[in-house]
Amino acid sequence: MERYRIETPKARAAGLGSARSGFGHWWVERVTAVALLPLVVWFAASLIAHAGSDYETFVHWLGTPVNAVLMVLLLVVLFWHTALGLQVVIEDYVHSGAKVWLLLVTRFACFALTVTGIMATLRIVFEAWAAS
Amino acid sequence: MTKTDAFIIHSSDEVPRRTLLKRFPVPRNFEVEPASQIKRGRAWPAPAGATRVKEFEIYRYDPESGDNPRVDTFLVDLDACGAMVLDALIWIKNSIDPTLTFRRSCREGVCGSCAMNIDGTNWLACTRYIEETDAPARVYPLANMRIIKDLVPDLTHVLAQYEMIEPWLQTGTPDPGRERLQAPEDRKRLDGYYECILCFCCTSGCPSHWWNGDRFLGPAALLQAWRWLIDSRDEATGERLDKLEDPFRLYRCHTILNCTRTCPKGLNPGKAIAEIKKMIAERQT
Amino acid sequence: MRSTPDKPARPLSPNIQIYRPQLTSVLSIANRITGVGLALCAIALVIWLVTAASGPQPYSRFQHVIGSWPGLALLLVATFAFFLHLCGGIRHLVWDSARAFELRQIYASGWIVLLASVGLTLLSWLVSLTI
Repeated sequence: MERYRIETPKARAAGLGSARSGFGHWWVERVTAVALLPLVVWFAASLIAHAGSDYETFVHWLGTPVNAVLMVLLLVVLFWHTALGLQVVIEDYVHSGAKVWLLLVTRFACFALTVTGIMATLRIVFEAWAAS
Repeated sequence: MTKTDAFIIHSSDEVPRRTLLKRFPVPRNFEVEPASQIKRGRAWPAPAGATRVKEFEIYRYDPESGDNPRVDTFLVDLDACGAMVLDALIWIKNSIDPTLTFRRSCREGVCGSCAMNIDGTNWLACTRYIEETDAPARVYPLANMRIIKDLVPDLTHVLAQYEMIEPWLQTGTPDPGRERLQAPEDRKRLDGYYECILCFCCTSGCPSHWWNGDRFLGPAALLQAWRWLIDSRDEATGERLDKLEDPFRLYRCHTILNCTRTCPKGLNPGKAIAEIKKMIAERQT
Repeated sequence: MRSTPDKPARPLSPNIQIYRPQLTSVLSIANRITGVGLALCAIALVIWLVTAASGPQPYSRFQHVIGSWPGLALLLVATFAFFLHLCGGIRHLVWDSARAFELRQIYASGWIVLLASVGLTLLSWLVSLTI
């Protein structure tokens, strides 16, 4: 959005003034990070322990209430943290009009992926119930 | 002064002997406007009769010629000039090329005039020993600055950002007719922040300021903002925080910490900015 | 100064083209690159869950792709990215409490993050392959 303007250094530095916000995004990014610590440790440990296992084992593992809940929590918090992180990356590097669209698409994609992941998890839970 | 082999840097004046990479693996003219692209410059003649000679590659730009910037190569007689990079620049200006242009004043690291990029990092030319530099030594202006001539950057914008944080005491309490009192413990809180000489090595070395410098205030201005926030005599803390709390003015800082690494006075802008964020968090809960 | 017809704008001094990579900037950009990489892994996670929900055949196809040599190589890289971002993230959380900002602490914690990431990557793969 580079256009020729005549402005004093003070006006250029001041821009549109302070947005008086910014703490919210910063705080939630950290809260989701802290929440992710135990969740990703659980996920990584589970992957390590069950590497290469077959379909029935996996469905049975994910079908247990504890693992199903943790997986849903992981999806929600992970994509929330991802959306916030990617927002910062886009704001840093994209300065054209495409920025707004990229921000929207990223946020929508994270939301859609969360829902898709939860639906898949629930489907597997029902499979496990049906099999037991 | 010698280079260090240590993996853990204790103070910013340490120059590492080994470097894995001298620059990031990007094309030489990566995202550089055509008018800013550096062309090859001239090699200036060696000084006659000099025994100890060192090669310097120095960024040059002549606004009156209309040419692109270039890099000239000089051979400096180390026995004829002082120990610091600034001494070499002065010797070049006196003996080889009088048009070499740079800012300087105190020659002892307190005025901030001679801030420039030496061997890839920002520092003061007057406190960088020649024997600490690479072979050849590479002298460029402060990174990401509009250049007026040779090694002289245009500091207008960064100074405007500094002015914007209102670096003066703001009080509603009427003038007491004597000093505004401050406890020694409160005065101690200013240590490490009031000493800033506004050389802008930190701001110029901050990648976030490179990409968003028009809106992100940068470590120099933010360090001074913190200096005023914690001055116990100041009564405008809330208003200062209101003006700082902005996704770009403050929160473009991602704790990259090039600033703390490069400060020639050993100050800690990264820490100051973290404290500002912490103060903003504190008033929310 | 922007460009006008009669006066060219002042040139911009080089920034990333000449600035020395230091532990500070290198670990920071690594944290960002691994973050973006892990965002792609999150998409892969959802794909994995969807294939599992679709039945044993799609699931075993996915496992087959991951189990191939390029798939395993990618998984190794993803593991390293995960641990680097995790340890780097913890380092960031410590900074957010305004602690460990002395230069020696910045460097010490930086090397610890790097070494821990390598170590945890190797450890996790070793454990996973021997269990």
